[in-house]
Amino acid sequence: MPISQISDEELVVAIREKDRELYSEIIHRYKTKLSHYLRKFIQDSDELEDVLQDVFIKAYRNLYGFNSSKKFSPWIYRIAHNEGLNHIKKYSKFAFSLDDTEYEVIDEKMHLDAKIDSKILKNKIAEELTKMKDKYREPIILYFFEQKSYEEISDIMHIPISTVGTLISRGKKNLKESLQKLYDQRRK
Amino acid sequence: MTNEENNLEDKVMADIKSGRVKLRSKYVYLAEKLGLGSVFIFTAILAILFFNLLLFYLKSSDNLFYLSFGSRGIFAFLESFPYLLIISLICLVFGAGFIMKKSDVTYKKPFGYLALALVVFIMVAGAVLAFTNIAERIERGMRGPHPGGMFFKPFFGPGPGDGNRGMVGRVVNIEGQIITIQTPRNIQLINLSTLKEDVAEKIGIGAFVMVIGEKIPGMFNAEKIRIVHPDEMPIILENIHEQFGEMKPCERRGCRMIK
Repeated sequence: MPISQISDEELVVAIREKDRELYSEIIHRYKTKLSHYLRKFIQDSDELEDVLQDVFIKAYRNLYGFNSSKKFSPWIYRIAHNEGLNHIKKYSKFAFSLDDTEYEVIDEKMHLDAKIDSKILKNKIAEELTKMKDKYREPIILYFFEQKSYEEISDIMHIPISTVGTLISRGKKNLKESLQKLYDQRRK
Repeated sequence: MTNEENNLEDKVMADIKSGRVKLRSKYVYLAEKLGLGSVFIFTAILAILFFNLLLFYLKSSDNLFYLSFGSRGIFAFLESFPYLLIISLICLVFGAGFIMKKSDVTYKKPFGYLALALVVFIMVAGAVLAFTNIAERIERGMRGPHPGGMFFKPFFGPGPGDGNRGMVGRVVNIEGQIITIQTPRNIQLINLSTLKEDVAEKIGIGAFVMVIGEKIPGMFNAEKIRIVHPDEMPIILENIHEQFGEMKPCERRGCRMIK
């Protein structure tokens, strides 16, 4: 069977029991996704690479800690999530950054009644997400920008699924209120 | 794919291939899981035992009976309350809850429900244990060199029946308004002249009395006194029996009787 057709979970079992070099396939599958995720926390590309490297090394070291009856993706995202938060705590700096089109995801989901200039909207969303409490921001990032399901977010953040829903809903509400204010100000 | 991403893959794989980065042994995880599970079970069992002991203490000692004296009995109640037992119980429940929260399997459910379930489980299991004689055996063990009893002894504090605001004991001598009682720990003189009514005549040798008031050097000034049935406070009865043996009247005030 070609390696690309093996599931993450089967691959982990194979790495643990047979061939450690197969871990390169895990890195290959996740480096872009995790890099995209961590870029939300870390803007400096050197720092990002260091953190990403730590994530993969930590994941490798702890492969026996992964329960192969569960999904691998939330497990490695959890390591990345923790490393991202540790990085923010360590350097006490955080500025949320959005890719050029990512703000559109928020714009669509918020159902704002009006159109705001895209550059202003992008900056405002980034600013609000920077100010937002961690507990609201993390599930919003995972849900809107990483397209994770509630269950996966629950596994990544180790919180109940019902809490994921509540946090996303409250975070969305706060964000919408801020964006609505911006719109009202501009209309005046 | 960018060069940076390729570099990353090469760096990580180089570390793995060179052996600088190794897999942590699966036995470490097994030991962690077993260790955490064992600590949780031990903590929960200890919490159940402590709750059971608390129920036993409240039921079998003088503590709750002081409340029957009304507001004056509150001080005696507070004085004989097993605080260390309660604090330890609370710590154990928090400890068990903390371990549960750290577990990889419980995060799916809201912690509030799990914590409530844990508390209810400890209370129900502790109450069910009250139908056995475990607490009595532990209490008996406290009076001997039994290691189990020695472990639990500090949690009962100075012990029941003999405080500065209230005490309970067996009457062994009556001389006018002064009665001598054997408490679980000592011989005490009770001054009944401080009572509003004369009750000395109603009290007979061998009676069990519960008294609230104030301890002064060498004497306890009674404010209220009540004759109680010793079976209501088995801990007191057994402790007095252990300390002084069978009931023998005392010929002089404050005499020290040895078993």
